Amino acid sequence: MNLVKKVFPLLITLCVTYVLSNSWGTIPPFGKFLSPFHGFWVNAEAPETGEPTDENLQIPGLQKPVKVVYDEMGIPHIFAENDHDLYLAQGYLTAKDRLWQMEFQTHFAGGRISEIVGDKGLASDQFQRRMGSVYGAEQSFEGMKADPQAKVALEAYSDGVNAYINSLDERNLPLEYKLLNYSPEPWSPIKSALFLKNMSFVLASGTDDLKMTNVLRQYGREVAEDLFPNYPFEESPIIPSGSPIDFKPVPIPASPKDFMGLGSAMKTPEKDPNIGSNNWAVSGNKTVSGMPILANDPHLTLSLPSIWYQVQLVAPGVNVYGSTMPGTPNVITGFNKDIAWGVTNVGSDVLDWYQVKFKDASKLEYWHGGQWKKTKLRIETFKIKGKKDFVDTVFFTHHGPVVYLSHEKAFKSNIPVGHALRWIAHEKSQELTTFYKLNRAKNYADYTEALTYYSAPAQNFVFASNEGDIALWVNGKFPLKSKLQGKYLMDGTDPAADWQGFIPQAHNPHVKNPVRGFVSSANQFSTDPAYPYYLGWQYAPSERGRRINERLTAMSKITIDSLRGLQNDNYNIRARKLLPLLLAQVDSKDKALDELKRWNLQNSAESVGATIFETWVLTLQSFLWDDEFDSDEKVPMNRPAMDRTIHLVEHEGAARWWDNVKTKNKKETMRDIISGSFQAALDTLKKHHGPLGAEWAWHKQKETGVRHLIPGMDALSRLHIPVGGGGSIVNATTTRTGPSWRFIVELSKKGTPKGFGIYPGGQSGNPGSAHYDDLIDTWAKGELKPLLYLDQPTQSSNRIRKKLTLSVQ
Amino acid sequence: MKYSLGLMLVIVVVGAIIGMYLPWYAMGISAAIIAYVLGMKTKGSFVIGFAAGFILWVLAAYYTALGHPSTLPSRMASLLPLKGQVSLLYVVTGIIGGLTTGLWVWAGARLRQK
Repeated sequence: MNLVKKVFPLLITLCVTYVLSNSWGTIPPFGKFLSPFHGFWVNAEAPETGEPTDENLQIPGLQKPVKVVYDEMGIPHIFAENDHDLYLAQGYLTAKDRLWQMEFQTHFAGGRISEIVGDKGLASDQFQRRMGSVYGAEQSFEGMKADPQAKVALEAYSDGVNAYINSLDERNLPLEYKLLNYSPEPWSPIKSALFLKNMSFVLASGTDDLKMTNVLRQYGREVAEDLFPNYPFEESPIIPSGSPIDFKPVPIPASPKDFMGLGSAMKTPEKDPNIGSNNWAVSGNKTVSGMPILANDPHLTLSLPSIWYQVQLVAPGVNVYGSTMPGTPNVITGFNKDIAWGVTNVGSDVLDWYQVKFKDASKLEYWHGGQWKKTKLRIETFKIKGKKDFVDTVFFTHHGPVVYLSHEKAFKSNIPVGHALRWIAHEKSQELTTFYKLNRAKNYADYTEALTYYSAPAQNFVFASNEGDIALWVNGKFPLKSKLQGKYLMDGTDPAADWQGFIPQAHNPHVKNPVRGFVSSANQFSTDPAYPYYLGWQYAPSERGRRINERLTAMSKITIDSLRGLQNDNYNIRARKLLPLLLAQVDSKDKALDELKRWNLQNSAESVGATIFETWVLTLQSFLWDDEFDSDEKVPMNRPAMDRTIHLVEHEGAARWWDNVKTKNKKETMRDIISGSFQAALDTLKKHHGPLGAEWAWHKQKETGVRHLIPGMDALSRLHIPVGGGGSIVNATTTRTGPSWRFIVELSKKGTPKGFGIYPGGQSGNPGSAHYDDLIDTWAKGELKPLLYLDQPTQSSNRIRKKLTLSVQ
Repeated sequence: MKYSLGLMLVIVVVGAIIGMYLPWYAMGISAAIIAYVLGMKTKGSFVIGFAAGFILWVLAAYYTALGHPSTLPSRMASLLPLKGQVSLLYVVTGIIGGLTTGLWVWAGARLRQK
């Protein structure tokens, strides 16, 4: 038999084996992936049952043994003998449950997704890096290292993550690595910085400057200022009006000259505007127990594995419980024996754009303050799976990176081309120090001291202590601006348009123990216009804030359960005002109109009225404004906010905006637009859900889902969750965003604080674990789980499922 | 027949041991070595290997799933996509195991052939 014939089967076999060992596009490596000894089968975890089990693991780098107790939700309670071991264990145990997520999110933040998915990730990666995400992380890493305690935490955490990575082999890699066919790389402390910087991307990268300049160019300053007012008609600011100002303001810089700018950019999809949060604290004189109660629910994109990871961290000088972000040491929001704190986002304007005038095509010099100045160049190299590296040059002016050159196409429609970016996320910062100190804070003084280290993303830090104090600081590093500076694109050649320093931290808006007996925030305006500094012209709509303040004012004899009720409040305060105004303009025999008239204004899951109202309002906004503000996709413009629309309906029935300029020879009236949008909304609903009936239930229209971080991975997601709420509702659950961690804490003078909490997911990031999504149903019902706060690892509790000793190797 | 069953049993047992310690393709290579060393006939070798691989992969998968009850198999059966049918997932797993083992046994047998 000749050689060719002899080895022919071997060649075929080798080819087939090769094909089955590698991933092809989105197809996983079938051989490896399905192998019962190597593939996904190995990732199945049996739920723990019966008696608590004892385990012992040897961890390199530990100085003393660490005791860990897992409760029935899979939450680790970590007891260490020093800070170093505490954070090493936090890193190790977080990675054990969430390694893939930690690495994927930091890869995303660092613009490295194309290393995993190939060149389809490149545009997003390039955008991340052009926005300066890696540059910002390097800056903030420098800041973090300056604090020795934060440095210990950061480095020990990293060592812990690496100890876990080094314990892995091909078989026990997290599922997603097997699915996408790659392996984890070593962790490093700068990844924690990247993760924290990414929070600025998520929470403080919204920018309308380009769209506002486009409005300005189209309609002039008077219209722009009329339709986009700088304070809402209806508002209930976070710092109550009339609160005393306990500082002497520094002088406000002079305004730069008016600047029209070139505007314009290409249109592409944008990020969800519904990311916001609620928090509040009520003082003891409003509660049954006489002790303050604090509640918080940060609203973020709902995703699996969960955004948050619960943990209790105990070591000499600290015993804190709360939610952490996988990828960073310390608890981010939570409580200890003496205090509790929570956060919501501040919508201040900390991101501005400067139109750049380059000298020539080399872009090595730009015009500023009457002279040519040198740009700095930063080289970014992108590794792309299956392709050659891509090298990109980013030009920096003294403002920051020129995100897109004028001939390039922006990744998002709101990003102007030919402009340099000035952004707070590029500043050196020490957020970790804030959390390190908050974890150990004992009183109001410790809390305010901790906040002095915090830069971005700015947060409303709500606070309560067992000394009876409640407080709220609108906290972060805020540029010291002239009024409206940065509402529109600015002139990069004019030094007067530059940021002129920062508002002193002690002057940040704050309130302690107000007369009304509570503090609260829901992303609305930080202050009323009496506050001496300009922070921004546009915040989240005021509805949630107004509803919370209305309820807290009315409530007395408050308990944890009554605040849980408020977190789940579905009352539509917008409809209370707007619906009667709209109904007065509509004549229709459609039964849907009767349904709407009968509606109790609750956005409950089964409500049909909520579906009709919400759809109608969206359609109305589009009918009213799109003809003027969405007519050319190359010139994206801001659309007036709902607050402005309501004012138009109530007071400006003859305004020019009611006419649809696209219909020639016909002038529409307010009545035409309102009743037309009603009919159109009904037509849409009939098309999607059939005739009026139970299929029109609000949850079926809203379709809330908690989705896996890999887009389109429905098998690892939980979709069609029957919950009520909405974007302008206290229960701010939308299609893709919502309360990502609801928690309530009642402090105690001597005993243990009572904590309750829930998030829409589970502790484990492994889809093969019962703890992957076991908390979602409880969350959907609006219930909370009692949080186990231990003093000792030996303390007995029927909620303990597993004990783990991490011992010195 | 008895000879074929015996061969299958050897491939399954050796494959299970190899599978626990070496990369996934080592199971196939071990089957090829068995075929080569025992001088298996080329004719019918693929079928014997396929049957052995199918049985090994399905049994091992079933054993793992039994010891670790979870929603993972049904999630994977939705992902692949097999409409969430876990039984189909076992069949596909068996086919991949059978195909690779069958091919390697065939290759090993043919190499030995004079």
